[in-house]
This record gives sequence, structure tokens and C-alpha cells, in this order.
Amino acid sequence: MTVTQLLPAPATPRRNFWRGVLRVMRRKPSRMAGVAIVALFAFMGLFGPLLYPSPLPRDDNALYAAPSWAHPFGTDFEGTDVLALVVTGTRYVLLAGLATAVITVALGTGIGLLAGFHRGRWDTVLMRLTDLQLTIPGLPLLLVLSTVWKFTSPLEMGVVLGVLGWGGIARAVRSQTLSLRERGFIEAARGLGLSTRHIVGRELLPSMAPYIAMNMLIAVTGAIYAQVGLFFLGVLPFDANNWGVMLNLAVFGGGALTSAAALPYLLAPLLAILLLTLGIVLVVDAMDEIFNPRLREE
Amino acid sequence: MTESFAPGVRVQDLTVVYRTPVGELPALAGVGLTLAPGTITGIVGESGSGKSTLALSLLNAVQPPGRISGGSVEIDGLGDVVRLTGDDLRRARGRQVGYVFQAAQNSLNPLKTVGKQLLDLGRSHDVADLPALLREARALLGRMGLDGGRVLDSYQHELSGGMRQRVGIMLALVLNAHLVVLDEPTTALDMITQATILRIVKEVHRERGLTTLIVTHDIGVAAEVTDSLAVMYGGRVVEHGPTMDVLGSPRHPYTRGLIRAIPRLSGDIGEATALPGRPPTLGTIPAEGCVFRERCPLRMAVCDTVDPAPAAYGERTVACHAVGRPVNLAVRKEYV
Amino acid sequence: MITGTGVTKTYRQRGNLLGGRDVQALRGVDFAIEKGGAVTFIGESGCGKTTLGRIVAGLETYDSGEIVIDGTPMSGLRHRQRQAHFRRVQLIHQDPYSALNPTRTIHQTLHAPLALRARQKGRSKAWAEERARELLTLVGIDPGYVLPRYPHQLSGGMRQRVVIARALTVDPEVLVADESVSMIDVSLRLGILALLKDLRERLNVSVLFITHDIATARYIGDDGELYVIYRGQVVERGPTEAVISEPVHPYTQALLSAIPVLRGVERPGAERVVPTEALDERHADTGCLFARRCPFRTERCESERPSLEGTVHGHACYHPQPRAVIPVEASA
Repeated sequence: MTVTQLLPAPATPRRNFWRGVLRVMRRKPSRMAGVAIVALFAFMGLFGPLLYPSPLPRDDNALYAAPSWAHPFGTDFEGTDVLALVVTGTRYVLLAGLATAVITVALGTGIGLLAGFHRGRWDTVLMRLTDLQLTIPGLPLLLVLSTVWKFTSPLEMGVVLGVLGWGGIARAVRSQTLSLRERGFIEAARGLGLSTRHIVGRELLPSMAPYIAMNMLIAVTGAIYAQVGLFFLGVLPFDANNWGVMLNLAVFGGGALTSAAALPYLLAPLLAILLLTLGIVLVVDAMDEIFNPRLREE
Repeated sequence: MTESFAPGVRVQDLTVVYRTPVGELPALAGVGLTLAPGTITGIVGESGSGKSTLALSLLNAVQPPGRISGGSVEIDGLGDVVRLTGDDLRRARGRQVGYVFQAAQNSLNPLKTVGKQLLDLGRSHDVADLPALLREARALLGRMGLDGGRVLDSYQHELSGGMRQRVGIMLALVLNAHLVVLDEPTTALDMITQATILRIVKEVHRERGLTTLIVTHDIGVAAEVTDSLAVMYGGRVVEHGPTMDVLGSPRHPYTRGLIRAIPRLSGDIGEATALPGRPPTLGTIPAEGCVFRERCPLRMAVCDTVDPAPAAYGERTVACHAVGRPVNLAVRKEYV
Repeated sequence: MITGTGVTKTYRQRGNLLGGRDVQALRGVDFAIEKGGAVTFIGESGCGKTTLGRIVAGLETYDSGEIVIDGTPMSGLRHRQRQAHFRRVQLIHQDPYSALNPTRTIHQTLHAPLALRARQKGRSKAWAEERARELLTLVGIDPGYVLPRYPHQLSGGMRQRVVIARALTVDPEVLVADESVSMIDVSLRLGILALLKDLRERLNVSVLFITHDIATARYIGDDGELYVIYRGQVVERGPTEAVISEPVHPYTQALLSAIPVLRGVERPGAERVVPTEALDERHADTGCLFARRCPFRTERCESERPSLEGTVHGHACYHPQPRAVIPVEASA
């Protein structure tokens, strides 16, 4: 053992961090419920297609069957189990949502930080760009795009929604940066000659982490609504198995709004969307405490 | 004017606890304090000493997670404030007890002029004659050297720190309260403005016949205006007596250390000595024994186990085992 | 050594449609900070003392005049070179709460500048670790206790010591302490002041002390220089002890008179000076800046502005007269 090893080990925030996250989550049962819900959907997204290998079985004798033990949410117009449809549809919805969130947050944070930290000319140019993005009418653009693009891959969907949605976050991150850069510790870091990379990456970003994480989760829910909405409207071609497609078929094909037979078919995807959003909202509640060492360590 | 007299205040065995994840912790532990009618009393203490909690208790305004768990606050003409609830309590605040918030805090509404806020205050206290209230406010502001009409028409941001503080005093007095609590009245103000505010506090106190309580961390401020001085530490009043006596011949080792730690304008600079250690926080106040013992030069065996009860020495009250006993001369020199 | 000559700074307030109002924060200030010396700027808030401190620390630009650091004039240099010079001056913030990043442990906070330093000097990582412990010990705290902790787990006094230790990582020549003890508990203040005083002696760093509390200025360096600043102008300047015991400018006298008297220990001075009016930035700039509030003003004061005169103990006043304003020991 050398001398340097004898010195007490410096703090290892990483290990403490996850232990802190667990502690924060345990503080409220609602948070644990949120985590459980999100985990359930993640499981469905990962293993759903393994549980119900395609093609999904049809039962021609039970079109629009009522809920039963064999079909907890009934069957659709072809006699396919609705639960199986919901489960296998999760992957597309989640992947597209995640892709959207990653792109919005990466673009929004990057641009907001750059504009807020450098101010001056950078700020002006980037903020005009942001304004431009914010004025792009998303829905009409998507309608136009869908005529040439099939969106069979959830990632394509995510990219498009992401590129159309980063403006708000960029503005918010910029204003956060502007207020943080006046703080004593940022000024001190500059006075000590620390690199801009260090100041932005190690001092500014962690202070904004709860904010960014929160925005990211909210972006996921936003993206889910958006894509389900697009499919429901029938704007996009039905190439993929998707909750939105189910809603569309239930309403326009099955007449779920007028007859009771297709009701379970309509309610199942709705319930899934609701539950997933609820799960995310419950988890968002913990973000502030997770990233604030003071609230985490208590 | 019905109650135009300066009320006396008797705080007895007051205990305030704060709920924390590790259980209820006492911010005030059996505090006793008497404010003689017509005097200015100062409470000095560091952060966490419980001085602000004590001041809030006079209005029964301790906010959750804190609560008054025992004791009484008797105010002449009001009775035990701790037992007041609802509308009685709301009327007492403002009518009988005026509270002036910290100058640094933005206690004024930034969206309303001072005059509008004054009228709101009048309406919430069912003042029938609002024009008279405005006249009274203008007179008070004029008394404090401000142009009353202009100030009432101003928004918060148009007033300087010293002006805001005077508006605070006006709002506390305008309903004819005769017990006034000032919380850190000069924190964040400049030296000259501070001197002006302190002079005004003294003059208004005398002219209107008030009982005044000043809460501050600055001994100099307390020395300048108060008749009697209470020193708080770790949720207890460790020394209380006439200001001149407490400052001139402090008896509690904490008071002594605190006075010694003030850099002064004349005399030997080397005489100023820092107090070792640091003040306790809510979580680190020892459960038994004297709260000051960790920093005390006069510490004895008994201090570890028994919390010293306040004992009277003439006009003075001191809570210390070492006071009244022959001083142990083996104490390190710098503390004597 | 750092000197400034004729430093001016004007803030343009871009206001409403009717145009803004310019605020002259500094009106041609000269100063000199010797190596290992103690210089204090005192004055009311808004007098420009904080702006001057930030200019000295390189955190703010100035409009005209010159600042010379160790013989190198700053105005001819490019931004990057200037920053390197200004690194020799470190600012200790007033608020130890916002001066430390709440999401980083003290170890991380100290390690960043020290690692940079180690790279520049070609030292090892172990040196940075060792140096962090050394500096914390120097400022009087136990490294083992503090290093793994987050700022919120430390008291205000400890945080301020950490801030000072962080400033020392770059071996500065000047520490600018801007109201550095005003947010710290009374019983702990003297400890921080004593530390600054101690650093002067042990490391030979100079301390530029910015405050409105003259007594603390005296404690930091009775051998130092005191600058009394009023509305961006130095109105009195001299050896700290001399300015305190024999102030000649009425403004200095008003400041000193306003200091609370520790009754029971002290008696008030016999000739306390009280300004006739409150500070109002909108007062006209003609004549002496203090004239409107001065109890001793004459016609001349309202038309002409006095400039700083005198070599050792200087003042900018047409009617300088020493007055007994400071409190004296009661026992005397």
C-alpha cells in the first residue's frame, strides 16, 4: 500500500448519488408508484413483442368481444386481443417519446446554454433561430411531411417531433443560465482561470440538472400525446402498431362513441396513455430532490 | 383612543418546537422574559439562537413546522396570546401588537402603492374612518422626516431602504398599536441610515408611549437604543438586565465573549478576541446540560449534565453555573 | 503592487422612452495597493466601492484611467493576457452561500483550480490533493471533515474559510474582501477577520477590504490605508488609524458618528456630525458632492468641487477640521 492510498478516499459522489436517489424515492409512496408504473411500461416496451410474437392470433368468432378472462380488454374488429395490442404497441410509443425527449433536451439545452453563457452576438443569432423554430406550425408541417414519409420507424417520428419542439427549452435554459452566471461561484470559477468547458459542464449544468431532467420527462409525455394524436387523426399511414391507430380504428371503424361493443377497444389505449403519463408525473415530483444535494442527503 | 397605554409583556416558560425528520426539536426551551411597560427591550443573539422565534411568539405567529408547545405570553389588555385564535388573534396583530419586518425583506407588495396597502390594512381591521387613517399615516411619515403624501403614492421600488423601513414602522403604528416588535430593523442598511432609523425608533417610542422590542444580531444597535437587553443562545435567554449593566459588566461567559469579539474604533485592537467554536443549530443543541458549554472557558463538571436555570442577581438574570461562584482563575487568560 | 490612476466608470441606464439617466459610479479614483499591505474602501452602498473592488479583481471594465499590475499597464493588453494578470487578484464574495456551488463537494470545488495549477506547474495529482489539505489547514479548518462535504453542510464561517482557501489556490497577490463578514454570525466574524490579518503576515498577500463597517477595517490593518468614497469620489484618504482618530472631512465624520456606541463600555464622541439630509443620488453634480448634506457648507462648496489634497492624509474639502466624533472608552 502506498502513501497516497493511505489518505482517506475523497468523496465518491457517484455511489452516494444512487443511494440518495433511492432515499428520495422512498420518501413518498406516490413516487414509488410512479417508478413502478414507468418500469412496467419499460418492461412492456422491451419484452412485449417477445410475449406476444407477431402475427398476433385472431379469433374470427369473437369480433369486438366483451372483456373476459381470456381477453381482459376484449378484442378488436379482427378478434385480436386488445391487451396484446396495447402491450406490443408500447415499444413504438416509448421509443418515439424517448427519441423526441433526447433531441429536444439536447438541442434546447445546448443552444440555451451557449446563448446564455456567451451572450452578445451568439445570443442574438441563437435566439432568433429559436424564435424561428417556435413559429414553425408543427401540425401543418407534419401533415405535409406525412405525404412523403411513412414514419415506420419510431426514431424517425422522434427526430421530427424533437426538431419541432426544442424552442421552449432553449429559452428556459437560456434564462436559467443568465441568472446562474451572475452567481458567486461562476464568477469565482472564471476568476480562477478555469476553462469554459469546466464552467459550463461542471458548474452550470449540474445546477440545472433538475430542471433539465424535469423538462425531459415532460417532453416524453408531450411526444406521446403528439404521436398518438397524429395516428388517431389518421394523418399518418397505419404501418405500425400504435395506440393512436387503435384509437382511430375504435372510433372511426368500430363506432366506439355510439355503440358499447367497441368501448373496451377504445378505453384500453386511453388507459395506457393515462397511466404512463401519471407514472411520469409522479416521478417528476422527485427530480428537484434528487439533484439538490441538500434535499437528497437529509 | 381606548387603549393608549404601554402594555407590559410577560413570557413564561415558553417552549417552541420545530418538527423535523428526526423528531421535534426545541427552538425555544422554557424561555422567560418580562418587558416592562414603556421600555425598549433588545434581544440579541446569533442565527439559531431563537430570537426571531421568540419575537414571532409575541404575535402567536410561529409558522409550521414550528409550534408553541408550552408556556404563556401574557400581554396587558390582551391576555395570553398563546390561547388566542382566529379573528381575535388577527385583530390583535396590528391593533395591539405592531410588527416591523426586516428592512432587507420585501415586506411591501411591489404591485400596490403604499397608500393602497394602508387602505387594505385599514379595511381588514374594519377601520370606519379611512380618511382619518390616511391622515394619521401622513402625520407619522412626516414625523419620521418623509413627505407623507409622496410616499403613500409610491411603489416599493421607488423607495430607498431607509424609507421602506420607515414605511414599515408607520404600518406597524398606524392602527395605534402600543406594543411594537422590530425584527432586525437596520440589517442591510448603511451606517448613516441606520443611525437615522434608530433615532426615529427612540423618538417615536417616547412620543407615543410604546413598549418596544427590538430583535437584532448587532450588539451595537441594541446598545444604542435599548433600556434593557436580553442575550439569547441556543433557545435560551442566558442573560437579561439593564443594557448599561449587561454591556458594562457582562456576567454570562457568552455575553462576555460576544462583546469581546466586537472590533472597536478606539483602544487596543489586540483586545478583540474571537469566540472559539460556533453557535449550535436546531439539530446540534445538546439535549442535556448547558447549551454554551462547548465554547465556554468556565466549563465545570456540572455543566455537562444540568441546564443552568436563570437566577436573579439584583436587576440581572443570568443562567450560568459559574456565575455567583468564585471564578476559577486557571482559565486561559484571553477569556478573563 | 497594484495602482490605479483616474479610474472612471459610468453606468448607462437604458431606461424608458424618455431616455435613461447615467450614473457615475467612479469619478477618477487614484489608489495604490502595496504588496502585503491593507487597503480599505469605505462608504455607503452605491458609493462605488464595490464597483472599484470588482474592477481591481478584473470582473468589471472601466471607462478611462489606468490600472497597473506589477508594472504592467492593463489597458494595452488583450483580454486573455489581462485575465492572466487579474488572476493575481482574487475576490472573496460577500455571500458565502452563493459563492460555493451547492452541487459540488468542497473536494471538487478545490480540486478544479488545483488540478489546473498542477498541470501548469508540471506537478502530480498527489500534489493537488496535498495542497488542498494544506490550504484548508491554513485557513483553520479540518480537511478531513470538510473535504467530502457539500456547502450546505457547513456553517457560514466555515464556508467563508473555504472560499478564502479556494482563492488561495492560485497564489494571489491581493485578496479583495467585499463585505466578507457581513453575512456571518457575530461570534464568528472576528475569526474570519483574524484569518485575513494572519494571511497578510504569513503569505504577504495584500488585502483590499471593502466595507461600511469602519471598526472591522481598523482590525484588519491599522497599519493600512483607508479610502473614504462618496458618490464615486475619494473624499478622504490616509493611514487607517489617522483617518479614524482624526477625521477631517465632514462625510467621514458623519460616517464615524453613525457607528453605534456600546453604552456601558463607551461614551459617544463630543462633536458627532449628522448629515442634514439623506443620500439622494439625484442631487446635482455641481460643486462639492457632499454639499447638500453637509452641516458646514458655504457658498463656495455649492459652486466648486474640491479635489483630493495632501500627501499622507489627504482630503477633498474646503473646510477641513478635525472633530471628536468617535466613541471613547467609558472608563477613561
